[in-house]
Amino acid sequence: MLVVLVLCLLFAFFAPRLYRLLGRYVAIPMAILPFGIFVYLLSFFPEVLRGSYIIQLYKWVPALGINLQFRLDGLSLLFGLLITFFGGLIMVYAAGYLKDNPLLGRFYLYLTLFMAAMLGMVTSDNLFCLFLFWEITSITSYLLIGFDNKNVKARSSAWQALLVTGMGGLALMASFILINLATGSYTFTELLAQNTSFSGHSYFAPALILLFLGCFTKSAQFPFHFWLPNAMAAPTPVSAYLHSATMVKAGIYLLARMSPVFAGADAWGYTLVVIGGCTALLGAFLALQHTDMKAILAYTTISALGQMVMMLGLGTTVALKAMLVFLLAHALYKGTMFLAAGAVDHCTGTRDITRLNGLARLMPVTALAATLAALSMAGLMPFFGFIGKELLYEAALSSKIYVWLVFGLTFLTGIVYVAVAVVLSFGIFWNKVKHPTKLEHAPGYMLYLPPFILGFLGVAFGLAPKIAVTPILERAVQSISRGELVELELALWHGFTKELGLSVLTIILGLLLYKALKFVQSRYAILNPVYNLGPERLYHKAFDGFLVFAKKLTMVLQNGNLRRYIIYLILFFSALMFYVLWHDTPHILFASRVVIIQELPFHDVVIFVLVSSALFYLLGTRSRLTSIVVMGLVGYSAALIYIMFGAPDVAATQFLIETLTVVIFVLLLHKLPAFIYLSHQFKKYNYIAISILFGTVMTYTMLVVQDHTIESELKTYYGQTSLLEAHGRNIVNVILVDFRALDTLGEITVLAVAALGVFALLRMQPEKGEKP
Amino acid sequence: MRTLIFATAIRILTPVFLVFSIYILLRGHNHPGGGFIGGLIGSIAFVFHTLAHGTKQTNKSYFNLTFYKFDKKPDHGKFRHALRLLRKNIVRNKNEKPVFIWNYYLLRLRPTYLMATGLLVAVFSGSVGLFTGKPFMAAYWLNAKIPLIGSLGTPLLFDTGVYLLVLGMVLKMVFTMSKD
Repeated sequence: MLVVLVLCLLFAFFAPRLYRLLGRYVAIPMAILPFGIFVYLLSFFPEVLRGSYIIQLYKWVPALGINLQFRLDGLSLLFGLLITFFGGLIMVYAAGYLKDNPLLGRFYLYLTLFMAAMLGMVTSDNLFCLFLFWEITSITSYLLIGFDNKNVKARSSAWQALLVTGMGGLALMASFILINLATGSYTFTELLAQNTSFSGHSYFAPALILLFLGCFTKSAQFPFHFWLPNAMAAPTPVSAYLHSATMVKAGIYLLARMSPVFAGADAWGYTLVVIGGCTALLGAFLALQHTDMKAILAYTTISALGQMVMMLGLGTTVALKAMLVFLLAHALYKGTMFLAAGAVDHCTGTRDITRLNGLARLMPVTALAATLAALSMAGLMPFFGFIGKELLYEAALSSKIYVWLVFGLTFLTGIVYVAVAVVLSFGIFWNKVKHPTKLEHAPGYMLYLPPFILGFLGVAFGLAPKIAVTPILERAVQSISRGELVELELALWHGFTKELGLSVLTIILGLLLYKALKFVQSRYAILNPVYNLGPERLYHKAFDGFLVFAKKLTMVLQNGNLRRYIIYLILFFSALMFYVLWHDTPHILFASRVVIIQELPFHDVVIFVLVSSALFYLLGTRSRLTSIVVMGLVGYSAALIYIMFGAPDVAATQFLIETLTVVIFVLLLHKLPAFIYLSHQFKKYNYIAISILFGTVMTYTMLVVQDHTIESELKTYYGQTSLLEAHGRNIVNVILVDFRALDTLGEITVLAVAALGVFALLRMQPEKGEKP
Repeated sequence: MRTLIFATAIRILTPVFLVFSIYILLRGHNHPGGGFIGGLIGSIAFVFHTLAHGTKQTNKSYFNLTFYKFDKKPDHGKFRHALRLLRKNIVRNKNEKPVFIWNYYLLRLRPTYLMATGLLVAVFSGSVGLFTGKPFMAAYWLNAKIPLIGSLGTPLLFDTGVYLLVLGMVLKMVFTMSKD
């Protein structure tokens, strides 16, 4: 797996260069890559079908349990095949869709990167490995939504998607850590192998809630659904790939993976059913309201995701089967419809269904593909969607909790799907009008072939489910139902059953809803006040509030007055020290100190007098030059003290730094205005008080440290090994460059950054009217 | 600050400072000294030079390498032209105006590059240990011993990185501040 991912990365980062070399033929290598991986994954097919799974381990941080461990079982393989096959088609489609875009190379970079992350995510076995790929999908999604970076709406939508899914990602990491703490396992394989559920553990509830947060934000479940319709600002290939077929199903994937671990708990089932049900209904409800093709598709996607979550919540074998079959069917038809919608948008310049009419004659293949997909979506007889719908009804009717609610929701969304399918196929392509919409240009084969292939697969899978999809789906169900072997029988014809009757009823009611659509849409205006209270509004409020808060905080803490920065630092440090000293007050024997003071050698007294008189002089002086020189005097005195205690290295450094400080100050001096007291005299006393406070705290701390010396073996260790192992007699330097070299590396990096910061600060030209 | 005595003295002293700073760097492993102190001493040399002569002059005399280039005279062969170039570049006659065709700043030793090089050298010295199968920053010593320096190993390289970085950092700050 790692080889595949590295290959993807290589292809991704060479894409812009390839684009420069090949022009728009860059699509050829970029499409060969996913199809190649598809074939590679197929080679694991026989082994997975035998019921075993493949594990590949690459060590990364074994001490923390973070490894690149990959696991390929039924579920992973299903997702992997879906991702790569879709990816290949999308690569081809994108070349047609973004034909004239000069940034096509960059687009392929993002898209391939996303594909790699997605592949890594569905195959990773290690929890933290999964988290890594999960976050990469969020970031690439952000880049892809904001691909049209000159468009304000695209940018803000990208932000929104990143913030919402990023927040979920953080929650997910916390959840993984809790799961790891509670069960001690780092991988899914270990988690699944543990027979005892950890539902009794005190970390169970928080882990579950955080997991839900992560999955629901990623899969656009209510109340986080709002980012998905906004994400439709992305180019259509992206919407089709990320926001209907793959990335939004990442949450579903993770829930499915985790379901054997959590499924025993009541909280799991009820939460998923309620949230999934809400989302399914809400998505279906809002889909009817819109006239933009992509918006309609986005809301039906949300609704379908809700259904999948609901099925996961039911947790019975038939529900899991239904979930997976529906997932596959949905990916096929929704992908097709998105691609067809993109082709229509590209050729006519609009996506508004009220302005699109009778396009079938002008773009026949696209029309055919869209119709095949729509029929699958509506759940008509020979299509794969029909099998999915039958199974959904069966699962809903056999539900153990809220039977009528679950079934009612499934039925209602089914009706809406029929209506939407008719709108998007008949309404746009086939209805007879006198003036069909004019095309700006005919669709190229790159625009109509990919949706056609997908649409055709929907029929093929429906006609021959036994050969095409049953084996892999069977293994996928097996891998999410605690390894029980399940028989999956997919067939078009089950005889005259309850479900068949319900399907027919759904279609009839759906057609009626289509007829009444105009009326329904005219009534939606009543609901507008409700939307103002929705979660999206909340998001915007929180976002703006955050910005205002950050600005205010910065105004208080960093208002440009450098003195204040130092004061905050000192006060905060003193408060911390106070807190620590308050909590466990150490004993200091002041009597022994007095003795030490009496025995003070003469040169110490001289330095003390020097420093303190210099400091008193400093308080009174008004000349900058004088104060700098006096400060230098204080610094040199400190260096003298170092020498007396036998630390020549430190003393030398101190001398040099003092010299440099004085020189730098002198360089800057002539640029500063004359020294004037602007603030009130009272402020000066404030500063004096703060200085005395800090000095007291530091002195006290020093005394405490001296009284409680920690015996450490480090000193002797360094002393012994310095010459023998590190070939140096100067222990200070050996520690710096050998024993603790990593620390030094960090310090010099900080120095470099600080120098660049000084450069940036001094060279930044303040704009007109702004504070420097 | 720009008194004649100071300026002249600094002109002579700066190379001395530099040599001394390198000496400090090299002796650091066994006696007081090391990359940090060495770098500071080296930078102080340049800082004083800047104080005395200004940023431009310091830049010109220490951080730029100028090569003179002349057009080939029609009756000269290639070899003779090369010889002439060599001579003109070594014995520079101030009165003869050279024709600059090569970039004046042929060698741009700007402080930022010094910093970057120092950081790179330090990181590289740390990763040498990786190739021998030890953790990052593990020291690797050569067997050879050189009279003045002592034993050669990656810590010395690391110290050189620190030296370059400190030198670059101080110079960057001072040059930025003394420009107006």
